[in-house]
Parts: sequence; structure tokens; C-alpha cells
Amino acid sequence: MSTIALALIPRAVALNLAIGAIVAALKLPVYLDSIGTVLVAALAGPLAGVLTGVTSNLVLGMLSSPTFIAFIPVTAVIGATAGFASRVGVFRSIPRAIAAGVVIGILAGVTSVPIVLALFGGVTAGGTGIITIILRALDLPLASAALISSISVDILDKVLSCIIVTVVLARLPRRIGARFGLPHPA
Amino acid sequence: MIDRLRRINPLTALAAVVLLITLTYVVPAPWGPLVALTVALLAAAMTGVARRVVIIAAAVAVPTWFFLVVMNALVAPQGATVNAGGIPIATGAFLPAAWISLRLGAAIAALGWVVMTTSPQRLVRALAQRGFPAWSQYLLAASLAAVPEARRRAREVLDAQRCRGLAVGGGPVARLRATLPLAGPLMVSLVADAERRALALDARAFDARGARTSLIDVADPNEERLLRALMWGLSITLLVWGLVQ
Repeated sequence: MSTIALALIPRAVALNLAIGAIVAALKLPVYLDSIGTVLVAALAGPLAGVLTGVTSNLVLGMLSSPTFIAFIPVTAVIGATAGFASRVGVFRSIPRAIAAGVVIGILAGVTSVPIVLALFGGVTAGGTGIITIILRALDLPLASAALISSISVDILDKVLSCIIVTVVLARLPRRIGARFGLPHPA
Repeated sequence: MIDRLRRINPLTALAAVVLLITLTYVVPAPWGPLVALTVALLAAAMTGVARRVVIIAAAVAVPTWFFLVVMNALVAPQGATVNAGGIPIATGAFLPAAWISLRLGAAIAALGWVVMTTSPQRLVRALAQRGFPAWSQYLLAASLAAVPEARRRAREVLDAQRCRGLAVGGGPVARLRATLPLAGPLMVSLVADAERRALALDARAFDARGARTSLIDVADPNEERLLRALMWGLSITLLVWGLVQ
């Protein structure tokens, strides 16, 4: 891995944690706490994306709540998927970024469900948990309810993250973009 | 004993956490998680962080219990129900919810104790002494150091854009539109900062091979190494026993 990719990861981890101030100010129904992971994956590839995701949840576990450590596999999947997606050029246009966000959201949701089922009994205390309870009231099996609630929240979150990353990459100064091998905008 | 526990090698604390979490999830409730929770709280009390450990463990375990009870006893009752004021309640859901919450609380208490009593610098140094590569130490230490700066910068961007007239209220579409003018400058500034840091790392021969010296030396006495080996062995034995069971 290049030194600039290595230097970017801690900044992206900090971005994942700091973006909460902006999300809270805007009162958005999303977290955007993987935006730094997607940014690094888009710039430096899947390995850097995975390292960013893993480090983010380790640091969140140390600074916020140890619960985040259980979800390390989810952030690793987000980093890997975004990294592979960037290799096929999805972060060059908004429609492709939306498609990538949907795929990343589905994979993140699918990865988090076994963890939620095994450690939390199928429901986490929060917005996702409320959706799960509503779906259970509609007689859906627990695993299906947890899967649908997790995916629905993750898709919205990751689509928005991917759109923002795509716009930011297009506006990145050429000199910096070139250090990550980004093509010059026409 | 208490002073010794405060100066414990971070790797020994990590081995203890792995053992306690294994105990929590392998040995059936309530005994496995109860023993793990008791040990974690004792260690926390001896190192002066008991109150904070109880708070972070309860902050996850209690709401989880409440959500589980609402879901499994009220909303989608499983098994036999009793009628309470016209509402059928599955009383059999209370105890399983309590065991899940107890396990969560025990695991979080064990992790919380280590997080609150281990300085990241000592952890990074202990990992380096065990031969972990320099980049892995850099990632953890630099990430922890970058968080306050990024939070400060996020607030600055927020204030600056508000001064320029950016409205952060309104409907969902307006608020979504405001995301980019706020997140964009923060992200670009962090990428630009990474370029400067990379130059600094290159200038200091970060890629150089060979052993490095450190100002901090983390003690790792023989008895702690032995204790660590025992705890790792016990964790593996418990895991194997759990799989066989």
C-alpha cells in the first residue's frame, strides 16, 4: 500500500466519526458513518477500504461503545465492496454510484443480520430495531424482519454516501487526484 | 495487586477479555455470563472505572432487554400467553431476553474495562514489541489522534457555511441538499491533509525496514506471559468444548 493511502486511512476513520456532527445538525435519518470508508476504497482500493472499516469500528469501540467491535465484519464488507466497485469505475457518475450504494447497502445489511441475531436476539435498540418490531407485528419471521429493516436502513445510508463521494472525487484538486491514479476530468 | 492490575501489559488485558467473552457466550446462561460480568466488574472496581463500565454496559443491555420484551412478549408473543388488561403477554419471553441482555452486558463490561484502563500508546507499543508491523501501529495511533481534529474541523465547516447563508433546516430534500456543501469541504480538506502527512512520513523513512527504538518500554514479565498463555489455552479449550456441545 502507498504511503498516501496509509496516511489517508486515519483521516477517513476520523471523518467516519466526525460526520456525525453534520448529520446531527441536518437531522438526517441516516448515519453516513461509512463515508470515509467509501472514500478511501474509491481512492485506494479494496484493501485500504477494508483497513479503514476495521480501524473505524475499533476506534469507535474504544471511544464510544464496545458494541461497534462486533460489527467489524460489516464495515470490512463495505470497504471491500466499495473498493472493487471503484475498480470498475462506479464513482465516475451519479447513476452508477447509486447502483453501487444499493449493492453495498444490501451486502452490509446481509452481513449485519447474523451478528444482530446471534448477539442481540434479532433486535438492536434504535431505529432499525423499531422497524424490526413493526415487521414482526406483521407476522414476518424474525430473520426476515431483521434482514429487511437492516437492508432498508443501509441502502439509504450507502446510496447517499456513494453520491457524496462521487461528487467529492470529481471536485478533488487534480494534483491530489493524480496521486491516487484518478483520471483527470475532461 | 491493585497497582499491578493498573500496570498490566495491554496484551494480557486483551487475552483476559477474549477469555471473558468466550466464557460469556460458550458457557450457558446465567452462569457463564454471570461469572464473566462479576470478574469484569471486580477488575473495573479495582482499577477505579467501575461506575463508567456499569454505565456503558447498562446503556446497551437494558434497552436491548426492553426491545426484546416488547417484540417477543407483546408485539409477536411466542408460546403461552397470560391476559393482562386485555393484552396477551408471553411471559416466557422475559427470561430469554434477560439472558441475551446479560451476555451483552458481560461482554461490554469486559471490553469496556480494557478500553478504559489501557492507554492507546501503551497498546500500540506492546503490539510493536510483539513484532506487529509499523503500519498497523500507525493506523491505530494516528486514527485516535485524528478524531478530535476532524470533529473540530466539522464544526468549523458547519459554522462557516451557515455564515455564508446555508440553511440547515427545512424539509428532507432541502436538508439532503445541504449535506454536500457541508461534507464536501470537510472531505477534501482531509484528503489534502493526508497528502501532507504522506510527505512527512516519507521524509521520516516510514517505509524503512529494521527494528525501531522507542521511548516507551511496556513491561512484560514472565508471570504475565505465562498467565496469557494459560488464558489463551483456556479460551481455545472453551471454544472447542462449546463446538462439541
